[in-house]
Amino acid sequence: MAAIIEKRDLRDFDWLTACIAVAIVCFGIWQIHNAQPEMPYWSKQIIGLCIALVALIVVAFTDYRRIIDAAPVFYVGGLILLILVLTPLGVKVNGQQAWLKLPIIGQFQPSEFVKIPVVLMLAKYFGVRQAGTLRLKEIFIGIAILAAPVGLIMLEPDAGQAMTYFPILAVILFLSAVKIRYVVLAIAACLVIVPVAFWIGVQTGKIKQYQIERVNVILDPESADPRGFGYHTVQSMITVGKGGLSGIKGDTETSQSVLKFLPEPHTDFIFAVTAENTGFIGCISLLLAYALLLSRLVAGARDASDRAGMLVIMAITGELAFQIFINVGMVLGFLPVIGVPLPLMSAGLSAVLATFIAIGFVISVKLRRFVN
Amino acid sequence: MKINDYTQNLSFRIGSIHIIAFVLLTILGVRLYYLQVVKGEYYSERAENQRIRLIPIPAPRGAIFDRNGKILVDSRPTYNVTLSNEPIKKINVNDRVEEYAMGLNLEPQFVVERLNLIKKQPEFEMMVLKENATIQDISWVEAHILEFPELRVELQPQRFYPHKTILAHVLGYVGEISPKQLEKPEIIAKGFRPGDIVGKGGLEQYYDEYLRGKPGYRKVIVDSRGRVQDEIEVVQPQAGQDLISTIDLDLQLAAEEKLATSATKRGVIVATDPNNGEILVMASQPSFDPNVFIQGSSDPEGRKQIAAYWQDETRPLYNRAIQGRYPPGSTWKIPESLAALQQGVITVKNSNVACGGGIQIGNKFTRCMGSHGSPPLSYAITKSCDGYYYRLALKMKIEGLIEMIETFDFDKRTGVDLPNEKVTQTPKSWMPYILKSEGKWSDIRTVYASIGQDTVVATPISILRAVSSIGVKGRMYVPHFLKEFKPISAIGESGSSGYAPERQGFGFKRPEPKLIPMTPEQEEVMVKGMWGVVNGGGTGAGIRIPNFEIAGKTGTAQVTELGKDTGKLKDHAWFVSFAPAYKPEIAVIALIENVGFGGSHAAPAAKGVYEAYMLKKGISNEAQEIAKK
Repeated sequence: MAAIIEKRDLRDFDWLTACIAVAIVCFGIWQIHNAQPEMPYWSKQIIGLCIALVALIVVAFTDYRRIIDAAPVFYVGGLILLILVLTPLGVKVNGQQAWLKLPIIGQFQPSEFVKIPVVLMLAKYFGVRQAGTLRLKEIFIGIAILAAPVGLIMLEPDAGQAMTYFPILAVILFLSAVKIRYVVLAIAACLVIVPVAFWIGVQTGKIKQYQIERVNVILDPESADPRGFGYHTVQSMITVGKGGLSGIKGDTETSQSVLKFLPEPHTDFIFAVTAENTGFIGCISLLLAYALLLSRLVAGARDASDRAGMLVIMAITGELAFQIFINVGMVLGFLPVIGVPLPLMSAGLSAVLATFIAIGFVISVKLRRFVN
Repeated sequence: MKINDYTQNLSFRIGSIHIIAFVLLTILGVRLYYLQVVKGEYYSERAENQRIRLIPIPAPRGAIFDRNGKILVDSRPTYNVTLSNEPIKKINVNDRVEEYAMGLNLEPQFVVERLNLIKKQPEFEMMVLKENATIQDISWVEAHILEFPELRVELQPQRFYPHKTILAHVLGYVGEISPKQLEKPEIIAKGFRPGDIVGKGGLEQYYDEYLRGKPGYRKVIVDSRGRVQDEIEVVQPQAGQDLISTIDLDLQLAAEEKLATSATKRGVIVATDPNNGEILVMASQPSFDPNVFIQGSSDPEGRKQIAAYWQDETRPLYNRAIQGRYPPGSTWKIPESLAALQQGVITVKNSNVACGGGIQIGNKFTRCMGSHGSPPLSYAITKSCDGYYYRLALKMKIEGLIEMIETFDFDKRTGVDLPNEKVTQTPKSWMPYILKSEGKWSDIRTVYASIGQDTVVATPISILRAVSSIGVKGRMYVPHFLKEFKPISAIGESGSSGYAPERQGFGFKRPEPKLIPMTPEQEEVMVKGMWGVVNGGGTGAGIRIPNFEIAGKTGTAQVTELGKDTGKLKDHAWFVSFAPAYKPEIAVIALIENVGFGGSHAAPAAKGVYEAYMLKKGISNEAQEIAKK
């Protein structure tokens, strides 16, 4: 860790990226307040933002290369946390044992944080290679690095979180020059395997009834039982639609979330709350802010001084984009209901902290682009 | 890019990821535009529909009074435990059955029925789970408000019949509209919904439209669990109209007392004002307690009682006065006599017909109770000479009897303002069946019909209506209970959403009486005969009241062949009458089932009503005073 912050560091510090991230979180805090005005979630989120900012600065001013060198340590540590979750130390919420309660630190969700060691581990492995296309053996090692934490997360079970790990590997393999024909092949395979796997899952009973219903709701939301499995999707769409062009005005006491029609308004469905309160204008502004943030990250990757740094940034970028799409797609009723929070917006210290640490890495990489 | 490698197209690959991210965000933007801008209004409306709910405020039903303003039916406040379907849809109802049954002391079977019914209802409907909740029930619900958010306690005005079994058949009762009724298009058109309270039987049913109020409602905002968050609007209910009936409770109580102390405790007493058709008394026993139907439909004991009513062989739910059909016996001779005079079979001057102690038809001899020689009409009435009527009817022929039946409307309902009135059965209605099965109408059937047996089974109300017309120059009024409906003022401003217009008061729309053609001489001879029954040593002499002259006719109707008429199959005892004989103010019919002779059972029952009437009118009853001394 850098003991002295030099003047140059402050000049090269990526203020814009940090400011966009902070702005989105602040916007999110306002929406959390709209969602649950009587609950302390929004004030907790302010504290979360402060902690996350400190973490961001610490990570930003640390030399990312040393952290990448230590990646195996973090990786093993992350796996230990995921194993601990499955022990009696883990806490069950809504049928998922995804939380860990530790003395002093308190309760947190390791699957949010473990993304970072996984990114580091993959960046370390794929960062050292040079020219030429990717060999099959390398691809399998990449899959193995990912499989360990994803397997543990599936045991919780938290399919939503597990899914957010895949874009990390996909982005890293893609940028490590996997042959384009493999990419095409993989996409084609996905188009075939996913429906077939779903069908087999249904036939063998591996996919549970509620999961099938959630998919059916997406295919035909109007005829879904609005009190049963269709409830989340239908209520979310009503809430979004109700916002109209510029959002509800004044009548906040009868909002969908205050009247508890909208489930989980401060976490998974925070985007619906945003839509209801700020309308199309607010939502488009938020999506533009995300686009700007992602663009800044991509620009940072292009400026990175080494391959590992570039991979770290792009993996995080891919993961963020994927998570935004899955979450908002669910809120807008065209993707199934999966418990994935909206990065930077949803209430919850773990998610904000993990995202800020990731952004801290990006800034750290950018700070050191002129070294060597 | 410092690590650019042309073999790997790294810049292109990073760009691709960048573009994919933008494409994903664009998809979200397009979808957002569709939901918020294109369909925004649609979803706004859906959101409004699910958060706004109308909670009905029940309207008090109109009370029913007797003619002197004494209360017969009222509504009093009670509490209901209601079940709302909103939170219950998401849970497995089987988990609730036992809890509800234990907590509210309900039968599990009933709870299952209710839960299944409420699940079929559209959003935000409610249904009564337990009526007339006790303090214990209410506190149980309050204590479990978090566990069972679907349960609520609501104030509900409940029908109350203070006189219990008295007048039960006339008043009827109220209850939830039945699923069968709800299938009828005219019921649907009036906007009835499951759970609505409607009149069932009696005046409650017949005048339901007027007794029923117009419910108000509270327009409220609810949360997803149906809990009220805010009130937007309140529309007050409009009460139903009060009904003033023609019933005289004092006379009714006297009649009920007489039936209750009769030998079989089964029978009918009806009293009317023959001058306008107003019904003063209608007692039918055995009776039932309408309160059982009001309170009992949800508690096990009440259900048992209701089932018992339905299964009881003595048919307590059945209004014998308008639904019971009995052979009228000798009471039938009164309209028959007048018809014979009208048809010229006999005349006032020459009304003698032989008694002969009976009549021989083929190889069967049908006897008279006495041997009366060749009596004139009034004597035949007074003594109830059967032989006279056997021959009279044979002279009239069955066609003459049928003409009489039509004259006195025995082939129609009387038109009393109660539901489910039965029509009297007569030779006219039987004729087609008899001709079909026997090929001809034999004289023996005419003979039996002459004394109100065999093919004649009449409702007490139809006999009373016909006979009481004799005393009032042949004016046969429609018997009725409605004296007046009280007006109700309007609710709300005209044009506002909750506006209910004023409801006018009105009386019974009395049709013109059917006029039975009758000369003063014919009337005199008829009344003389009936006067003689009580005052001239006739079959009803036992009930003579010296200063209140009753004109009447006894009847003793066989229910089986002679010789077997004992015990349960004893004759029905009839007495039909009006008084004072020459200027009637009140007409009374009494029927006691299976007790024997009319003069000794039915006539004293009718006398009880007359005595009560005299007491009210301040006419002193010398006979009673003498008896006291």
